[in-house]
This record gives sequence, C-alpha cells and structure tokens, in this order.
Amino acid sequence: MPGLIPASAVIKPAQPRESPLGLTLRALLRRRSSRIAMIVLGVIILVGLLAPFIAPYDPAAQPDIVALKDLPPSLSHPFGTDPYSRDVLSRVIYGARLSLTIGILATIVSLTLGVAYGAVAGYIGGMLDAIMMRILDAFLSIPRLLLMLGVLVAWPHLSIGALVLFLGLTGWFGLSRIVRGQVLALKHAEFVTAAQALGASRRRILARHLLPNLVSPIAVAATLGVAHVIVLEAGLSYLGIGVPQPLASWGNIIQDGADQVARLWWMSLFPGLFMVSTVMMLNILGEALRDVYERRS
Amino acid sequence: MIRFIARRLGQAAVIVAIVAAITFALIHLAPGDPFSAVLDNPNVSEKVRETLRAQYGLDRPLPEQFVRYIGALARGEMGWSFSHDLPVREVLATALPNTLLLMGVALVASFALGIIVALVQVARRGSIIDNVLGAISLFFFSMPDFWLAILALLALTYWLPIFPVGGAVDPVMHEYLGLGGRIVDRLKHLVLPALTLTLLASASVARYQRAALLDVLPADYIRTARLKGLTEKEILRRHALRNALLPIITLIGLSFPALLTGAFFIERIFAWPGMGYAVVNAIGTRDYPLVVGGVIIGSIMVTLGSLLADLLYAWADPRLRSH
Amino acid sequence: MASPLLSIRDLRTYFYTESGVAKAVDGVSFDIGAGETVGIVGESGCGKSVTALSILRLIQPPGRIEAGSRIDFEGKDLVTLPDEEMRNIRGNRISMIFQEPMSALNPVFTVGDQVAEVARIHAGIGRKKSWELAVETLALTGIPAPEERAKQYPHQLSGGMRQRVLIAMALIMKPALIIADEPTTALDVTIQAQILDLLVHLQKEFGTSILMITHDLGVIAETTSRVIVMYAGEIVEEASVTELFARPHHPYTEGLMHSMPHIGHDQERLNVIPGTVPSPTNWPHGCRFRERCPYSWDLPEREHPPLYDVGAGHTSRCHLAREPQRRNHPHEPLVVQEGVGAA
Repeated sequence: MPGLIPASAVIKPAQPRESPLGLTLRALLRRRSSRIAMIVLGVIILVGLLAPFIAPYDPAAQPDIVALKDLPPSLSHPFGTDPYSRDVLSRVIYGARLSLTIGILATIVSLTLGVAYGAVAGYIGGMLDAIMMRILDAFLSIPRLLLMLGVLVAWPHLSIGALVLFLGLTGWFGLSRIVRGQVLALKHAEFVTAAQALGASRRRILARHLLPNLVSPIAVAATLGVAHVIVLEAGLSYLGIGVPQPLASWGNIIQDGADQVARLWWMSLFPGLFMVSTVMMLNILGEALRDVYERRS
Repeated sequence: MIRFIARRLGQAAVIVAIVAAITFALIHLAPGDPFSAVLDNPNVSEKVRETLRAQYGLDRPLPEQFVRYIGALARGEMGWSFSHDLPVREVLATALPNTLLLMGVALVASFALGIIVALVQVARRGSIIDNVLGAISLFFFSMPDFWLAILALLALTYWLPIFPVGGAVDPVMHEYLGLGGRIVDRLKHLVLPALTLTLLASASVARYQRAALLDVLPADYIRTARLKGLTEKEILRRHALRNALLPIITLIGLSFPALLTGAFFIERIFAWPGMGYAVVNAIGTRDYPLVVGGVIIGSIMVTLGSLLADLLYAWADPRLRSH
Repeated sequence: MASPLLSIRDLRTYFYTESGVAKAVDGVSFDIGAGETVGIVGESGCGKSVTALSILRLIQPPGRIEAGSRIDFEGKDLVTLPDEEMRNIRGNRISMIFQEPMSALNPVFTVGDQVAEVARIHAGIGRKKSWELAVETLALTGIPAPEERAKQYPHQLSGGMRQRVLIAMALIMKPALIIADEPTTALDVTIQAQILDLLVHLQKEFGTSILMITHDLGVIAETTSRVIVMYAGEIVEEASVTELFARPHHPYTEGLMHSMPHIGHDQERLNVIPGTVPSPTNWPHGCRFRERCPYSWDLPEREHPPLYDVGAGHTSRCHLAREPQRRNHPHEPLVVQEGVGAA
C-alpha cells in the first residue's frame, strides 16, 4: 500500500554475495511447504533411481497367470497383482522411474523449443513476430491432449523416444509466449543497447545478455511442465496410446485394471497416489519458485 | 467496440484456419496411408474405402487436397466414421449436446464454487481455514482427471452405491418412466460426472481467484472503500470482487481446454455419451476421421470459448467498453 | 481554546518489518480546533501520512498503533473504539482525500455511484436519493454538468476532475474533519491552485476542520492557519503560519524554507537539505536531525531535545532554544545546491 509504510522503512538488508542458485535454494528451504515438497520428491526420485534394488519382483514377469493374477494387497504383494499376475508394487516403483524420466526429458525438449521460438519472435519482432504469435494462438487453442490424440492415433505403435519427443513438441507454447514478452521488454534495456554499441552480435546478445534474465520464468515453467507431462503421459497411457506394454508407467498400470475398476481397485489407487503426490509436490515447488522470484524482482 | 469485435472475429477465423492446416498436416505426415488400419479391416466395405479416398482425395497433389479439405470442412464435412458407419458430422452432432451439457453445468458450478472458496479464503487470509482450503484446492488441481473420475466411480457407485454406474439414462427403465421420472433419471446420471468435472475445474478457479483478489486488495481504491466506512466483507464483495472478476472472465476463456480434456476422460469413465466418449472409443477402433473430427471440433470450441471470454471482458470493463 | 475537535496524545504507530521495528510515528501530540485548518509538513518518510492514516485507524499489518496512544475525537478515543463505531466515523465524521486521484477511484463503478455509496452507508438513504445527493455534492466541487459526469467512469475524467470527485466523496456527509494527504501533488500547477482554492472555499462555507498534509510549504502558506513540522516520526516545530514563516526556529524548518523555489528568482538549481532521513527502524539517539544539522554540537548528540516553548504559542524541538548564540556559527551551509553536496 503506497504511502503506508515509508519507503525508508522497508530498506532491504545488504544482499550477501551468493550465487543465484544458492539464494533460491535457501529461500525455498525457508518455507515449510517447499521443504516437504523437496523431501517427498527426493524420495520418489530415489525410488525411481534405485528401482532395480527396491522392487521386490521383476515388473514384467508373469509368474503364474492363473494362480497369481488379480490378487488383492497382501504381505507378499503389498499393492496386489494385475491380471497378468505381475506385482503391482514393483510396477509402481518402475513406473516412478519411467514417468519421471519421460516428464523430465519431454520438458527439456519443450523448454528448448519454447525459449528459442519466444526469443526469436520477441527479438526480431515486426511482421515475423506477428505471424509467429498467430501460429502460437492456433496451437494454444488445440487442447494438448487432443493434439496428442491426433498425433498418436496417426502414428500408432510409437517408440518411447518418439512419445517423449511429441510430448515435448506439444508443451512449449505457453513458455514461449512468456519468453517473448520478457525479451520484448528487455530488448531496449540499457545494457542491451550498450552491448549493441560495443558491437556484440545478435546471437551473442541473446545468449549472454537476455537468456540469464529468463532463468526465473524458465525454472518455474520447467517445474510445472514436468508435472504437466506426468499427468498427460498417464492420461495417454490410460487411453492405451501412451507408453507401450509391457513397460510400466503409472498411467499404464491404471489402464491394466481399467476394465474392472471396482474389482481391481488397488490397480488404480496405488499408482494414482504416487502420481498425485509427485504432481502436487512439483506444483508446490513451482509456485514457491515463482513466489521467490517475484519477491526478488 | 465494433472494430474490436470484428478484429477479434478475424483472429478467431485465422486460428481455425491454422488448426485446419495442422490437422491436415497430421493426416498427411503420418506414415503410409493414415487409413491403413481402416483399409485392412475386412468389415470396411469397398464403398466406404472409396468414400474415404474421395473425401480426402488421397491420389491428388497436396495443395489441391488441402483446398478440398478446407472446402469440405467449411461445409461441415469431416469424413466418414466407419466404426459408426455414419458421417463424422452426424456422430459428433449427436454427441455434442451431451458434452455441452456436462461442460456447461461444470463451468457454472465450478466458477460459483471456486469464487466462494476464494472469497472465504481471502476474508480469513493467513488463517487455518485459508490454508486448509488452499491445500484442498491444490490437491484437486494436481489430480489427473481420469484418476479422480475413477475414485469417484469407485467410491460413489461401488462402495457406496448412491449413483448409477454410467450412461446418460438408465438403459432399461428410462423408456418406461413418465416425464418427471425421466428428468430425475437424467439428473441422477448427470450428477457424478458433473460433480467430478466441477471439482477438477473449481480448484483452478479458486486458486486463480484468490490470487486475483489478493492482487486487488492493496489497490488505492480499496483504501478509499475502507475510508468510506465499508466493512471488510462489503469491501471484498463489492469493490474487490468486481475488479477481480475481470481476470476471472479471462480464466473462463482459458479454462475451456481443461474442461474439454476433463470431459473426455470423464465421459469415458462414466460412459457419458458425449463427444469425448465417441472420440476415445474411436481411438480403440482406429477410426481416424472421427478422432480428427473431434480434434477440430474441440479446437473450435476452445477458440469460440476464448473469443466469447474476450467479448465478455470488453463488455465488463468500462475502460474498454467506451472505446 | 475550548475542548478541541481532535486531540492526539503520544501517538505511536510502529511497523513490525523483517528488518526491525519501524517507528514511523513516534510520540506525536497535537490538537485541531473546530473549523481550524492545520498543516503537517515534512519530507516523505517523516511520518505525516502514517499520522493521518492512524487517525482513521487505517494502518494495515504489519503496522500497529501502540497502546498508550490516544486520539480523542468528539468525545471518543479512536484508538480503542470498536470497529463498527470506527466505521461509522470514517467517511461520515472524518474523511480523507488522497494524493492519487488516478488510482483512488474504483475503475469499474461510475463516479456518481462511488460518491453516492458514502451516503448510502452513512445516511441510510436509498439509491435514488443518494444519487441526487451525490450529484449535488459534485456540483459543489465545481464539476460542470454533474448529472452527466456522475454517470461516467473514472478513466473518462481528467486528473483534476477526479480529485474533485474525491473531494465530493469526502464532503458528502459534511464531516467535522477532512484530512487531505498531498491533495494536489499529482496535479498540474494550474489545477493545483484550483483545488486548493476549492478546499479553502468549502472549509469557509461548511466550517469543516482540515488537516492538510503536504511536503510543500507553499500549500501550507496558502491554506492553513497553524503548521506542524514533522521529522523522523516526531513533531519538531509547531506555530501559527505567520509566526513560522517569520521566525522559523528549528534548523530543519529553516532548511525546508530555503529549499522552496522562489518565483521570480532566477534559480538554476534547487536548494536541498544535505543528507537523507534516517531509517525509522533505527532513529539516531539524541537529536534525530543532528547528522544533517549545520549547528550540531555535543548536547544534541547526548540528549534527545524536548519540545521547547519559544514564545507566541511556538514550540521547537531544538536545543538552540537553550543555546541561541550557536545559531551564528554554523559549521556547514544549511542547504546545498542539488547535485553538488547532496551525495
């Protein structure tokens, strides 16, 4: 509220000399919610990394498709077994590995595309910018799931790599708009003019002077983006056009029990709980990041 | 204002054209014949194959195909759905009202619920109530649509059999009911899918609206309102909410993709005979024209939604209205 | 003077920030009589606006009016008054005009509606009557064609018109006291004069008391009868306008006067008092002005000066009252030209 607290009352303490990453991390650790989020995510990532050592069974093994199928949770199968007699706990553990990997890789693809597209549109501007933004509007008005449906039905039996690529290809529209806005705003900042005056090339100005200023929106978009991809991949796998069998992803496991939801409730419940926790913690973290950056600017 | 509307309509038309181009590219970039699955299918008659080929003119040069494709789209022709043995247009036209009903109910209910939650939160900002409601919103916000639908189905049709398992009406009894009975039957079938979609959508409304209200509160005119002697509640309801409703109109436009996506999953899980149900089933049967038709209609709905929201915004904001 | 309309005693308003307790207002006492116009002058950050907001109890967390402060108004202590009664006073018995006419009006309501709202709250009258009253009041403030203007939205009005709307809002209930916080700062010079004339005129017509808060001694000279000079959360000098301009006592007041631009004098640069207002989380002990004062010696460093009575109802928080001869030997100039010694 301007005028309420005299400007001199909110003098900030001198900034300690610390790397931006360290500062951000410290700010995140100060909040209880983001501390919890980091711990939970850390555990889930660890579970994914150590899957071969933690999982009690081979996630693809079908030991006895008659006697051991559709077992409810028990001591030997805490999450039960699926219609192919596979151990659901082991599949959920391996699912963590696959779902997180897909989420991270696809997000890297979309960050790269989003930054490149947005930076070019914002920096060059003019007619090109207008055209690029119209195209972006069109992409933004196709719901991502529908776009993926169109792609995955046209190209059935895609490999995991191609799936990651397509997930990445459909996830950069929002970020590129933010990046474009930032670049547009920074383009005429004094330090950019100074660099131009010193004869720096366009590419150098973009990379050296503009990109570092985009770190915060990118970090936020990355965190929320991973959450988004995990949900999307699960949805596609649930529809049977995502991760191919016999690989285990969280959505895949739910799909295996989808025909008999009521009888095989454990097959929806457990992978879902893992998925929701992961997504929720990523959302908490992404928002905390945004908050930290907004406060700093 | 008229110029604004005209420009905005033009933009929407350009977007729809680009969407058409994207779907066209999808069809033609796909490996081999996009209808190989169809053409391999012994149930597909020669007549259907010819219709398909004629529809898409697969043997002609690409630019000509594109022009034909756009022309067909403009006439509302989206090809032949062989799994229904009907034109795609007809399949979707039958399904669309159900989807619109589901989305419409969820849209209204979720905005009402979301705004109320946000108001309660902001009135008691920083309190336990605010934090608990915030956590609940975040929980639903993080929930994949299909998983919440499955949980709702498990909990409220199997474990506690309150609601019917699926469909829009009772498959056997509906025919024999009177008018009142039919309405009740329809409502009973609508509640669970609509509730699920509402919960999913209201989470983002509440979160967005809370932020919007908190953005408005430090404004000078809120201080002016305090100065007049209004109570905090009156200030929230009258001065803050009215201003924070402007961004919510934008959110209505933005929420269409999520509502539509949610409807797709929810329709499948509750066997609600809408567009999503049709399209998701078409995935299973590889009925590609129907899937693409769904993508096109879905995109047009989203474009129209954001167009409508923009017009509403221009009408609601006096600063824009007079220009 | 009979019992004054407003009587403030030992007002302390502190802000509990992360970097410490900011004592924005730190023990302020003054009176305003019925029909009197009092000015508070000082640089930004001196606590004058916080004083104003404290009177209406519009201090938001982390700010707080400290226990022991008293604000007596029409027989009630505003510091301890229940919220509901306090709301009854706001806009009704005491109203306020802010410096930002652009942002102080809600963009989504018509101005007439916003003026009428005050009457709806306090006079208990309906939409139609309150609207008529609003139009009447808008007319009083000199808005041409008030019926049409009332139906417009804030963005359709000029800055001066909006300030008139805010004045109408403040005036509609014929309050006993109007607090005007920099009412002309955001306006063009010609409009400034019009708005000040309007305030003076309305004050005469309705006998309303006005508390004029400004950094501009020119505004003080034009509108008020008594002046309070604030510095670092305290009153440092108080006197009638004529007395103050004739015999400023506190070196800070002197500095303010020397830094006023003089019309007619060909001045290339504005004079300013060197240095800046210290941080309210950490006021210097002793005299709070001493670091910027050209006369400072060991006494101000040791001892926080009380408000000395320097005659003719004139008080000053300066030890020069005790050792007046030191005024003849400043060790630095009182003011410097901007950009030369200010850094």
